[in-house]
Amino acid sequence: MRHYELLVVVKPTLTVEELQAKLSFLKEILEKNGAVIAATLEMGTRKLAYQIDKFERGTYVVFYFTAPTAAIAEVERLIRITEEFIRFMTVKFENQKELRFWNKQVEKITKKSDVAPVVESKEIVEEQQATTEA
Amino acid sequence: MAEKRKFARKYCKYCEAKVEYIDYKDAKILRHSLSERYKIMPRRLTGNCKRHQEMVELAIKRARATAVIPYIIDTQKVVAVPFEQLQQ
Ligand SMILES: [Zn+2]
Repeated sequence: MRHYELLVVVKPTLTVEELQAKLSFLKEILEKNGAVIAATLEMGTRKLAYQIDKFERGTYVVFYFTAPTAAIAEVERLIRITEEFIRFMTVKFENQKELRFWNKQVEKITKKSDVAPVVESKEIVEEQQATTEA
Repeated sequence: MAEKRKFARKYCKYCEAKVEYIDYKDAKILRHSLSERYKIMPRRLTGNCKRHQEMVELAIKRARATAVIPYIIDTQKVVAVPFEQLQQ
């Protein structure tokens, strides 16, 4: 199991329900391939630096997860097929410093979305760290 | 040759800020190493250390691929609000 970050840019024309459907579809793919999603961050719709398929704007969504290496190729293949995803980027986190950043990001996101106190979310992150290292 | 240096010594701003990892989604942090035309600035001008320069290069290339920052600034097609990107 390795630590990854996956960013997808979704078409801006989708409705809220359609977007959620697409995201849960992607989550399903990830989980089917053995990935454990640690955090999801929806960065909202923002202006693209340049046009992609005639779109001026795109919806950015980031996933933080751990997965076996073989899963990535399959997930990327399916993203390429799906028309609603106009861009994607998978980043691998390997060394100590990169992993620290990964944990920090997950912590930040879980803290934001949960109303639970800070101490609890910290424990969750530490637990995840322990299990993935084992 | 015992002249004093006329300019302040260049130093790595990322080292000063103790940056461990440069996130490509954060355009603000990359901005320092980009020229006006969004080209990657050489180390001799920014004063970045080699380690951080390599991290910045990778992050910039990823940011370009995901349309966070542009590959080029189109001089033929002038944008209505050129500095809108910076305000984010
Ligand atoms: Zn440095």
